[in-house]
Order: sequence, then structure tokens, then C-alpha cells
Amino acid sequence: MHCKHSSLPFPLTISSIPTKSNPQFPTKKPIFFTSLKNSSTFLTISLTPTKPNPQFYHKNPIFFTSAQYSANGGYSNSTSRTTKTNLSSVSCLITEEPPLDERLSVVDKVQSLSLEFRSLSEPIDRVKRLLHYASRLSPLNESSRLQENQVFGCTTRVWLEVRMDNKGYMRFRVDSDSEITKGFCSCLIWVLDGAKPEEIPSVTAEDFADMNVGLPKKGRSRVNTWHNVLFSLQNRTQDCVQERKRALSLEDPKGSEVGVK
Amino acid sequence: MITTTTTPMEGAILKLPIGLRTVNRVTNRSSTSLRWRSRPLHVSASAASTSTPLVDDPKLGPGSLGHITRPDFPILHQEINGSKLVYLDNAATSQKPTAVIKALQNYYEAYNSNVHRGIHYLSAKATDEYESARQKVANFINAGATEIIFTRNATEAINLVAYSWGLSNLKPGDEIIITIAEHHSAIVPWQIVAQKTGAVLKFVNLTEDEVPDVGQLRDILSRRTKLLVMHHVSNMLASVLPMDEVISWAHDVGAKVLVDACQSVPHMVVDVKNLDTDFLVGSSHKMCGPTGVGFLYGKSEILSGMPPFLGGGEMIADVYLDHSTYAEPPSRFEAGTPAIGEAIGLGAAIDYLSEIGMQRIHDYEMELGNYLYDRLSSVSDVRIYGPAPSRTVKRAALCSFNVKDVHPTDIATFLDQQHGVAIRSGHHCAQPLHRHLGISSSARASLHFYNTKDDVDRFIEALKDTIDFFTSFK
Repeated sequence: MHCKHSSLPFPLTISSIPTKSNPQFPTKKPIFFTSLKNSSTFLTISLTPTKPNPQFYHKNPIFFTSAQYSANGGYSNSTSRTTKTNLSSVSCLITEEPPLDERLSVVDKVQSLSLEFRSLSEPIDRVKRLLHYASRLSPLNESSRLQENQVFGCTTRVWLEVRMDNKGYMRFRVDSDSEITKGFCSCLIWVLDGAKPEEIPSVTAEDFADMNVGLPKKGRSRVNTWHNVLFSLQNRTQDCVQERKRALSLEDPKGSEVGVK
Repeated sequence: MITTTTTPMEGAILKLPIGLRTVNRVTNRSSTSLRWRSRPLHVSASAASTSTPLVDDPKLGPGSLGHITRPDFPILHQEINGSKLVYLDNAATSQKPTAVIKALQNYYEAYNSNVHRGIHYLSAKATDEYESARQKVANFINAGATEIIFTRNATEAINLVAYSWGLSNLKPGDEIIITIAEHHSAIVPWQIVAQKTGAVLKFVNLTEDEVPDVGQLRDILSRRTKLLVMHHVSNMLASVLPMDEVISWAHDVGAKVLVDACQSVPHMVVDVKNLDTDFLVGSSHKMCGPTGVGFLYGKSEILSGMPPFLGGGEMIADVYLDHSTYAEPPSRFEAGTPAIGEAIGLGAAIDYLSEIGMQRIHDYEMELGNYLYDRLSSVSDVRIYGPAPSRTVKRAALCSFNVKDVHPTDIATFLDQQHGVAIRSGHHCAQPLHRHLGISSSARASLHFYNTKDDVDRFIEALKDTIDFFTSFK
């Protein structure tokens, strides 16, 4: 398979099977980018989306895999997967479920995510993509929306749960009262959920610059909520690691899960 | 287009287009303030009025103050994400006219030099222009030049009062009264000082109309009250407080008053002598001046008794190894090399504003602000904070609001990315106020005299589109 745009660094496929399951993603087969390892699937990315009408969103094509654009104007969020459709209005497309025979690294995921958002030339399309990913994130229970889980220093409210599973991999759950922020966070935890603790600090805010939707790229500030989420996630991962070391030093034979609120 | 020539003693004389024939000279603030005082400020039009509907108000049509002055602001003439910029974040910072930009450029091109110390031509000219800017600020608010201290911004000015006056005058049990609607810069320094001195902070709540409860304020004023810190105009509620009355009540119990005038000085005539306030702070960047400079007004007799805030050069008289003596105000409170060009730029901004006339600016902004309120309140699922404007209730030209079930950050992001409309979202440095209102954040559209009815219309249409989008999305 080939990508339509020659500047893509590598062909891409969309896998409907995530590397690790995360209970936050509502469908059993959420949609992710993976790097191509098998030629049995193909993806077509349109990197020249239809120029949106600057005045009204509903005249813009919507670049969602699970979105249904009504010819009458307007947008409806369908969770049904599209198969092969008119590619002028869809930028990511699932045609098959590829077998996945190896775990994606954090670096691969960051690259995939960057490529996906770089393919969206109009800022509003990045907004819409983030909203799509936000819609795929199930909310945290009220019991998890605690102040101790809240990421401080943000203009929007974000709740973050961080834990280490039995095998020592990091697990994250996140929620926000802002849909765009939730979208950022959804992407963030897709990259980092299931990663080894030592992989977590390797990601920097600059790695997600391509997802930018008008926010300042440099420096931490209250408006860069997801930057703050990343830092919080990294700090609390470190706390988990320390906690795990302490637990192991007590020679707990069960190697119990360690969570940090 | 307003063009400028300059005479050394009288400030800038502007050649105005026909629409702005009345020239208010900078030097005669008292007559201007009397003229303002003789005509009580009131909302000249409201939604309930049977006069010309705001949408048809000729004051807002072509030839309005916004249309006339807009060409003077180069930054406004650009596109954002393919849409013409609509800048509605003036409460955060104002835009700068060409006259201010040129003043700053001219300083750095022609006579940049350190002030108050050199004896060469450049230094003398820089010093003269810097002190001329101080005089302009003084004239603008009807103060004396030695009562104006240049600071980095209004926040630093409040901190100056807190650390200099507060630490040396407050004792355990003394009370500082603040409203819950204050900007963080008017709350946090006093929390720090209260902790150091044992003073007590008391807070004034809001009325049902969402304005600070001056009735409650009057009740809690007592002989224990040593300081009242209050905004003149709220950056979130848009409420305008009767500061002259409030100050009078405070003085009756022997308390001093610090007025946060950041949202009033840029938009209306402010006369510190008429208010009789003890301290007043303002920001250059909110009044068409450069960032990096603000000012503190303090009564001479109070400033004279205050110890320094920052130590260093310029604020000293003599320095020995074991002690130093200090200069008189304002130098005592201006340690180090100041923001010279920026202060001169502020002076140019004051010239610009003065030539338009602050009363004219205020009247226009009242009309446009009411139009904004009316249009915004007609949008479904929008909740505007602060008092509703009426013939008796004054409201500044800004609206903080929330849209049901849509986060203000999402609103602001979509407005920016899809429509080129710049508004603010967040807590606007007023977290206690937001908490009191039961919200975590809000969106805010704030106007200045270079905004037009077209700006408001485009904002409203963009907002409707934004709401439609998120509604459909959900």
C-alpha cells in the first residue's frame, strides 16, 4: 500500500487492535496509528483536505474515521466504523485489521501521532481530530475526580490516575472538563499507557508540537494544560517507581500493584 | 488617521480628522474632571430603553470612534487562521497605536541613554523625556509628579505598597478589607503581609446582582480597619464601584485606601484628588502603552513616610558600608535603571488618549459595551456574569460568560482557530470570584475604543457557530 502524499516518511496503517487495552477507550477496537509492519492493510491519507469555509464549520469536511458528515450540513458523531468510502472527506481509513505481532514503542507512537496531526494542514482540523479522540475517552468516575488527582496549574480541570501494573508497566486514566484538553490527554495516554517507567521521561512537550492548536509552544503556562498533564504524569510515574522499589525492598513476594494518586 | 506633532512643553498636538474636532489639552485636567463630574456617568442607552435600538445607534455606525481610530493600530489589520482578526481581549492587554510604537522606536534610535546620571546630551534628553512622561501620568490622573512612582506593572505597584507601607504600618489584629472580586495581585501580596504582621484579611462578598456589596463593606469598616484594597472596575464582573463614597467611608474610620485602577484609567476619567484615594495603581499596557511599566500614585505625605521597597542604585542619597540614606520619593522607590523607553511610550499613549478625550472614549465604550451585552445575552445558553446594565447601573465594556455544557477554553479555542476571534478563557486572575460563583473558569470578551460594532457582530456570529458545532458534536 502507498500513501497518496509523497512526503510521508513511511507508509501507515491503522490498527484497530491496540497494543495494550485501556479500559478508558469505549470500544473493544479503538483506532490507532501504528507503524507499518505488514502489507496486508493499506491506508490512504489525504493531505490536501478540502479548504474549509472560514465562516461556518459545517461546510468543512470532517476528518474523522468514525464521523458521519451530513450532506445537508451539520455533524453527527457515529461510532460506526467506515470502510472504504469517498476519500475526499476522510483522512484516516480502516480497511482491515492487521495482525499485530510486536509492541509499539513510545517513540513509534509519538512519531505516528505527529504524522497524523501534521497531515491536518488546517488548525481547525486538528481541533476536530482532538475532539474525536476526546469522544473516545470514557469519563472517570466521580470517585476518581478527586482533588488529589487533579493536575494543578491549568486553566481547565484535569484529573489523572497513575498506577503501575503487576508487570511494572505504567497505566494511566485521564479526564477533563474541556473536550479539547480531553483530546490532548487521550492522545497522551495512548502514547504512554502500557509503557515502561523508564520510557515515560523520554517524552517531551516538544514531541507533541504538531498537535498544537494555537497554544504557545514554548514554556509552561496555565493554558498549556496538557504540558502540565505530561509533567504531572512523569512526576507521578517517578513516584510509582520509588514506591515500587520500596515495596520490593520489603521483599513482597506478590509484587503488588502500586498506584499513586 | 490621527497624525502627531510635538511641542516640548505641552505634549503632543494631534491633527485630528473632522470627526474629532474637540481637543482636550493634557495640561488642564481639573477643568476636564469638573466637566466629567458635572455630568454624572450613566448608561446612555440600554436594552430596556425606548430610544434608538443599539443595533441602529448612529454612534456605533461608520464614523464611530472605533472606525476613526482603528487605522492607528497596525496590529489589528491582519488575518488569523484565514480570518480577519477580531481582538476582544483588551482587559488582558490593549493594542498600541502607531504613535506609541514610534515613540518607543524613536527613543532607541535617537536618544537612548541612562537617566538621572549622565551629563551628556543623550542622557539629558532621555531624562527630560522620562520625567515628562511622569508629568503626563500625573496630569492624566490629576496628581503631582512627585506622587507618581514608575514600577514594572500594577502588580509590582501593589507589592510596593504592601511591603513598604504594609510591613511598617500594620500590627497584629489590624484589618485589611478586600473584596472577593479582586485580581490576584490585589489579594496575594496582602496575604503575605498579613502573615508577616499578624494583620487580618476580611472579604466583602457580592450582592445578588453580582457586584461587590458596598453595604456589607460599610458595615465591616471599623477602627481596626487600616487599609481597604478595591478595584474601581472589575475585570470579570464589569461592575463599576462608587469609589468616592467608599473612600470617604474608609477615611471616616481612619483607614487608607488602595484603588486598583487597571480597568478604569484606560477607559474613563480618573481623578485621584476627587476620589481622595491614598494609593492608586495602573498598568501602561492596558492603556495603549508598552508592557514593562506601570505606576503607583501615592499621596505625598504617605510616600514620604514609607521605607524603600527595593534597594540599589538611584534610590539612595548616600551609601556607606554600614548604612545608606535614601532619596526622596519618587526616586526612593525606583531602584535601578528603569524601563525608560517604555515610560516614554506610556507618555505617548497618554498623549494619544488625551487628544481623543477620556470622556469621549468612555461614552463610546459604554455604547459599544451595552451593545455587546445585549447581543451576547440574546444568544441561547449563555450566562453573563456581573450586573445587568441599566440607567442606574454602570457596566464596563466587557462580558465574562459561560456557555452551557461547553468549556470556555473550548469556546475560545474554536473562536480562534475557526474565526480569528481573540477572547480570554480561564479564571482571569480571579479564582476566589470564580469559586464564589461556582465555576472553575469563564470566557471573557473585552472591548476598547478601537473596537467597532462590526467586531461585536462578528464575535456573536462566530460564537453562535461555535456553540452549534459543540452542540452537534455532543
